[in-house]
Amino acid sequence: MYNLIAKIGEGALNLCHETGGLLHLLFMVIKSLFPPRFDPGEFLRNLYKMGVKSVPIIILTAFFTGGIMVIQASVFVKRFGATSLVGWGAGYAVFREVGPILLGLMFSGRVGSNNTAELGTMVVTEQIDGLKALGIDPMQYLIVPRVLSMIIMLFLLTIIGDVIAIVGAALFGILIADVSFAAFWTSFSQNVHVADVVHGLIKAGVFGFIVSLTSCYAGMTVRGGAVGVGRAVNNAVVTAALGIVISDYFLTYSLS
Amino acid sequence: MITLKNVSCKMSGKQILDGITATFNKGEIWGIIGPPGCGKSMLMKLICGLYPVTDGDLYIESENIAGMSEVRLVPVRRKIGMLFQNNALFDFMNVWENVAFPLSRMNSGLSPEEIRLKAFERLKAVGLGGSEEKMPSELSGGMRKRVGVARAIITEPPVIIYDEPTAGLDPVTTSKIYDLLNEIQSRSQSVVLTISSDIIGLRSFVKNILFINEGKILYCGPEQEIDHCTDPVVYQFLRGLDEGPL
Repeated sequence: MYNLIAKIGEGALNLCHETGGLLHLLFMVIKSLFPPRFDPGEFLRNLYKMGVKSVPIIILTAFFTGGIMVIQASVFVKRFGATSLVGWGAGYAVFREVGPILLGLMFSGRVGSNNTAELGTMVVTEQIDGLKALGIDPMQYLIVPRVLSMIIMLFLLTIIGDVIAIVGAALFGILIADVSFAAFWTSFSQNVHVADVVHGLIKAGVFGFIVSLTSCYAGMTVRGGAVGVGRAVNNAVVTAALGIVISDYFLTYSLS
Repeated sequence: MITLKNVSCKMSGKQILDGITATFNKGEIWGIIGPPGCGKSMLMKLICGLYPVTDGDLYIESENIAGMSEVRLVPVRRKIGMLFQNNALFDFMNVWENVAFPLSRMNSGLSPEEIRLKAFERLKAVGLGGSEEKMPSELSGGMRKRVGVARAIITEPPVIIYDEPTAGLDPVTTSKIYDLLNEIQSRSQSVVLTISSDIIGLRSFVKNILFINEGKILYCGPEQEIDHCTDPVVYQFLRGLDEGPL
């Protein structure tokens, strides 16, 4: 019994410690933004590394996500002859929910985990101390450019992903559900609104913020060499996934 | 140049350094030695301002850095060149970019091309001409050390700290590294603080020694006289004896 209480207490203390650490990091990032004090070169480098290099995987994910929407719907579309709903169904689901959440998780797996591993390795190999010793603030040089890049790039990648997913849905609609492009487009353009796109993009911005903050925090607090880096990457991905799903619930609830 | 007055440092409730008092003057070469975990590296990181001084005063030139804010520490840190134990080379930059990095981040008044040329010149001086475009991962341990040395000295800082400059290197490379450090020192007249576990190699390079054990100074003086030190820990450590307090 005593052990159980001790474990609960330890867990609560750890949770407080991690939450406090994340909030402190957030405060430091905001402080570095007003007025803006971050490295423009690093910012551009990260935009390219995190965003441009993620385009192929995002296109692939989005294309098949659009296809999956149509495959799942095709049974009912054929049974009820509801071809006029395919474009709307695919667009609504992709823009508001499936697109941002799947791309967010994919982004977390590709970019967030890489970011944690990179920062963690820099911590254990004293590169962060090296930066400080050279009179360079790691917050301005490493963290702020990465946080901004991830938020901006997940937002932009979601726009690309949304377009590709609709293309995928239309193509799979023609090939699998016998829905003509004209029918798909009519259903899509008449029923899907700008608000649906905005809804998804707000989520993408929030997910980018969650992935950036959790991955930077996990990387900067690595302890214990290579094992510690591995543990941090694991923690970052799990925390980001949880953060994405939980924040999605609240965003869907409040935006609907 | 560097003055420590009763400097102490505690981390997670553990006393790492306790009442360190010492002065390192311009042009002096000091060796910092002691058993593993005695606080040598922590002392260097305190001097760099990477960790806060818990108690006491630490002057770099005339500025007391104890309790100084991160913002005010920036110009002080730029007076110090540091070679880290595992070099701390930035693995996302190639060799010359690593060496040029400190210069490109300070207002040196040099153009990017002049900075690049200076980095190339420094790399040539440490025997790495031709390796400028390589990534740190493509270099051997000795070459990485040399890049670390070139980066530590490129801004010609008044204080240079070498943390284990020869760790993991063979005797020939060790000898070459110490020759290189000697050459740099004779030109720059900086204060040089060197930590090393290679006592023989270190003693051939330094003029003074600071011996630390359990966060306290056991010896502070000329290198030649440490052999006469009667402290049992110093005696055992220098002679590598099995019997003794360590």
